Amino acid sequence: MRQPDLAAVLTDVRSGLIPAHVYNDPEIFALERERLFSRAWVFLAHESEIPAPGDYVVRRVLADSFIVARDESGEVRVLFNMCLHRGMQVCRAEMGNASHFRCPYHAWTYRNDGRLVGLPFHGEAYGGEDGFARQGQSLLPAPSMDRHNGLIFVSLDPGAPPLPEFLGDFAFYLDFYTRQSPAGVELRGPQRWRIKANWKIGAENFAGDSYHTPHTHASVVDIGLFREPKASKRKEGALYTAGPGAGTTYKLPPDRDFAGQLRYVGYPDAMIGAMAGSWSAGQRALVGDSGFMVSAATLFPNLSFVHNWPQIDASGTVVPFISLRLWQPVSERETEVLSWFAVDAAAPAAFKRDSYKAYLMCFGSSGMFEQDDVENWVSITDMAGGSMARRLKLNSRMGLTASGQPVSPPMSRFAGPGTAYQGFGEFNQRHWLAQWSDHLEAAPAARGSAR
Amino acid sequence: MNRPLPYGDPAHLAAHQFLVEEAALLDAGDYAGWLGLLGEDIRYLMPVRVTTGRGAGFDSLADMGHFDEDLYALRKRVQRLATEHAWTEDPPSRTRHFITNVRTFRNDTATLRVESALLMFRSRGDTRAADLLSAGRTDLLRETGDGLRLARREITVDESVLRTQNLAVFL
Repeated sequence: MRQPDLAAVLTDVRSGLIPAHVYNDPEIFALERERLFSRAWVFLAHESEIPAPGDYVVRRVLADSFIVARDESGEVRVLFNMCLHRGMQVCRAEMGNASHFRCPYHAWTYRNDGRLVGLPFHGEAYGGEDGFARQGQSLLPAPSMDRHNGLIFVSLDPGAPPLPEFLGDFAFYLDFYTRQSPAGVELRGPQRWRIKANWKIGAENFAGDSYHTPHTHASVVDIGLFREPKASKRKEGALYTAGPGAGTTYKLPPDRDFAGQLRYVGYPDAMIGAMAGSWSAGQRALVGDSGFMVSAATLFPNLSFVHNWPQIDASGTVVPFISLRLWQPVSERETEVLSWFAVDAAAPAAFKRDSYKAYLMCFGSSGMFEQDDVENWVSITDMAGGSMARRLKLNSRMGLTASGQPVSPPMSRFAGPGTAYQGFGEFNQRHWLAQWSDHLEAAPAARGSAR
Repeated sequence: MNRPLPYGDPAHLAAHQFLVEEAALLDAGDYAGWLGLLGEDIRYLMPVRVTTGRGAGFDSLADMGHFDEDLYALRKRVQRLATEHAWTEDPPSRTRHFITNVRTFRNDTATLRVESALLMFRSRGDTRAADLLSAGRTDLLRETGDGLRLARREITVDESVLRTQNLAVFL
């Protein structure tokens, strides 16, 4: 893409007017690959998916396949899944347990910490250590890797900022989804499916689109599955941006304390006690004093979260669930969705069972919310690929006046960090797109090896 | 138990006819009629398939499905499709459920275990390529005074990554 064209696109995006073609444009996708996914911290897996030594899952960052393994000493390793010799994938399963990975091509064999330990005919073929030093050879580790609350992130940039620095104030909100007790969260799944939609649309939607809920998800209210998405309730929610993340909340009915609010969304008392002990005073205040309950959120670039509390049986039992999802780009017009069910590891078995049911009914490949979301996103992507889309700038200025002032000022009494607005607005999507613009504007990341 | 009933067996013929009639209801979008074929204690299950080594001993996830439904959940799905706001199926998909390789086993005096192969063609709109979903199914059919009822269905889908935008359809 020519530099002046990109500059014009980014100027428009930063003013809240999105050239529609960015949602289906191979040149934009090439830039995202070179300048965004080459650098950003990207979620790969959760430690609960590989609990025992030898456990592994295989995950991708765009076209790069990584083995996420727990080695024999219990360390988490993220290894590029390509043999050092001729480049075959050393692991072609997506999960399992293995002490070693042996390349099918010539039997070069690697320990699950990545070290090369087997090289057939090392002496005869290579002249032993003198000819080709096996010592110190390893599958390429991810250039940067770190964890937070058991969430395993990698960056292809060896000079990536430390993960805690990157997460910044969003770490406060992550705890609502991934640290409801000291035991932490456990992930199940993921369900995986491909949608003919650009990956950015889902990421933006989960970051802050409370405005779509009353209409896109009207059917869910019609059938009495989830009462809250009514517009009258949804517009009372707060939208926050914090560090690289942004999310939506629901305003809970007034006059309940911390425990009362969590009971209202269906948590049993044992879990509420654990949350009270696990969360900071500020986190407790967001629920108890401000009266907000987190719902959808996105951590830039492509990890999203959702927390809702539907009715799971005919007698109206309300049970909350959490899902994490990765919008894994395949191309400018196709995305693989990985959707996990997440639940506090220490939750009672009955809660885990009911919460899983709540998840399946609402989100994931068959979820009654998600079904209608994806229909929208596929349609947008389809429309964005033509020539007329190059003449259309999508208005993403909700919440701002023509002069760029907020329609309503930021909230002064909101217990969480960052900036929060109450009511409908596209502050969060613009926050996401501002980060996207910064990446696309920056020079490609260095291609060094691991630290 | 281990051998299928002869294809001329009245129980097999009844089971086969049940599956074909069920497919006709689904392809016609008669979901209310379809609910009528389900037992009160239905469990409708579709585990997530995964790619694992031959020696791994499993190729689906024990604790995660695309579906794991009881009658309440299936009724809600059908109710939703009947609203004016189920956008993903309005306009509706054109589906065709091809049911074949039907084998019927006598499970006990009142139930039949029926295995079948399913290929579902799904077409939406006029610009998108159609989707295919291939799956095996193992059903438990209960003989009642009012005909057969589906008591349990386990759908063994043949992809680890589904190539369809959602499961707003039944298999």
